[in-house]
Amino acid sequence: MLALLSPKTLLIRTGAALLVLIVVMLACALVGTEHVSLRAALTAGNDPGAPNPDYEILLRVRVPRIVLAAIVGAALAASGVTFQALLRNPLADPYILGISSGAGLGVILAVISGITWTLWGRSPLAVFAFVGALGTVWLVWGIGRITGRVHVTGLLLAGVVVNAFFSALIMFLASIARGQQLYATIFWLMGNMTEEDFFVLWVAGGFVTAGIVALFFQAPRLNAISFGSADAQTMGIDVERTQIVAFALSAFMTAVAVSLSGLVGFVGLIVPHAVRLVFGPDHRQLLPLSSLGGAMFLVIADTVARMVVAPAQLPVGVVTAIVGGPFFLVLLVRYNRKVQGLS
Amino acid sequence: MTLSLHVDNVTFAYEPARPVLQDVTFDVARGTFLAIVGPNGAGKSTLIGLLSGQLKPLSGEVRLGDASLRSFSARNLAQQVAVVRQEFVPAFGFSVSETVMMARTSHYNQLGFESAADRRLVAQALERTDTARFASRPLAQLSGGERQRVFIARALAQDTPILLLDEPTSFLDFRHQVATYDLLKSIQRDKGTTVAAVTHDINLAAQYCDQVLLLRPSSDGPSGGPGLYRLGSTNEVFTPAELQRAFGVPVFSAPVGAERVFLPLGKMAKDAAQASPSLGSHGPSTESA
Repeated sequence: MLALLSPKTLLIRTGAALLVLIVVMLACALVGTEHVSLRAALTAGNDPGAPNPDYEILLRVRVPRIVLAAIVGAALAASGVTFQALLRNPLADPYILGISSGAGLGVILAVISGITWTLWGRSPLAVFAFVGALGTVWLVWGIGRITGRVHVTGLLLAGVVVNAFFSALIMFLASIARGQQLYATIFWLMGNMTEEDFFVLWVAGGFVTAGIVALFFQAPRLNAISFGSADAQTMGIDVERTQIVAFALSAFMTAVAVSLSGLVGFVGLIVPHAVRLVFGPDHRQLLPLSSLGGAMFLVIADTVARMVVAPAQLPVGVVTAIVGGPFFLVLLVRYNRKVQGLS
Repeated sequence: MTLSLHVDNVTFAYEPARPVLQDVTFDVARGTFLAIVGPNGAGKSTLIGLLSGQLKPLSGEVRLGDASLRSFSARNLAQQVAVVRQEFVPAFGFSVSETVMMARTSHYNQLGFESAADRRLVAQALERTDTARFASRPLAQLSGGERQRVFIARALAQDTPILLLDEPTSFLDFRHQVATYDLLKSIQRDKGTTVAAVTHDINLAAQYCDQVLLLRPSSDGPSGGPGLYRLGSTNEVFTPAELQRAFGVPVFSAPVGAERVFLPLGKMAKDAAQASPSLGSHGPSTESA
């Protein structure tokens, strides 16, 4: 019998991963510098007259932050999977086409110009980051198209150039910024989780979930595109349409993530890799499992970030890089040994 | 239902000033095994690109039956024409069976999974190409010959009446060269598939193919116009004179059993000094058509 992914296997694995994610999120909600009793939080409820500290910490501080980490982690990992497939490059991540520098430029502009207005309750930082991110993707896509036939190479080069140029602009603006402004920008660039209100979480979570589901339906075509656009086309795939849809979806999800949490690195690179090493490259499975894995990874990393130097807090981006790098190396070594042992 | 392939006055150029193919017209009847031969740069791979709809002709058109290739969607074209390119390994570690199953992508159901019929076709293709033994291994762990067979299996699983191949035996040893051509021939015979293969191996083409398209680059250097071409049966086109004209080197031929073999002879080859006495009887002077 052919060793192929069956819908049943996919469903079981995705369900199991979802279960693990929920357990991880619950566990992380209960750990922290303050001891919280789940029973106390749930039984006493929230009476405005007599505030219940357990309830306050759990539902107003920890849960929103954990949910946010899960949303951002899932968005970045899913985008990472897609970018790696479209660019046929395992080193690609959601930021490779300049989304990070575009968002960063937006943020430093917002900080320096001293804008204080808000849009739908979002700080100008988030709005500028979102616009900067999407604007950059659009720019890079446009330049990549103009460069012609070898689409992937053109896109990568355009991404590199735009990234470098925007980074230079960020440096320039940072060098003329005042100390307090600079601090806000750098903190944002490192990526960190804050307590968002539930409305924002619902909207962002809805967008990201819809994006991942939509990407799932592109997964068979992403498999074929891994063999190059010429091969994919002769296998009957509308390559251009798939590229546009997948790029747009993952760029949008990345922009959402970046505008919520700043530049959290490493998630979009190592989570897809780790899942691929263990479960194989089939995107129908890689995409859902990476999304859930990314969510788990960032929830745990953020829990570490708020605990190690308590009562101060580390930016979660620092934790993902420090934890993610060695974790990935171990996985790589172990996997290679397994492969050599088999053959 | 197999459609015949028509190339009608096709001109193609990567740079407008230097057409690679100009005013090429020929028909391939259904069920033919066609060899496309010619020197490097004569436009063989370009022709495969045009026949598979990857490249659009500057003028003229390629037709399948009565319909222009332009009128086919990627999906419909993939049900008519399958292509095996020169060896290529993807960025990720797909297994052999996953790779072959991708040929069925455009037939997947709404959820993106294959049907029992798809599985059957893939299993047959794996059997037929003798790749079922290593179906679960990743592509990267295979030898060049094994990998080539996997890509042929993928093209077979596409279940098309037309099969195009770009140098299917270029990296293969004797045994695998012969096995590949035996496989292509049996596909042609059993399923009436039209097979068109670009090849540098004149002798294998002479042994297996029905028709030959010989492409010749321009005689007067890169600045000159595009070359000429000749289509005919294997016996008509494969003559020392014709090959010598196309490749620009002396070509000798000799009968071996029922077949005819062709040899190029360079200036520094061991036999070159005595070429005329020892091989002259089969040389271009006596064999030219």
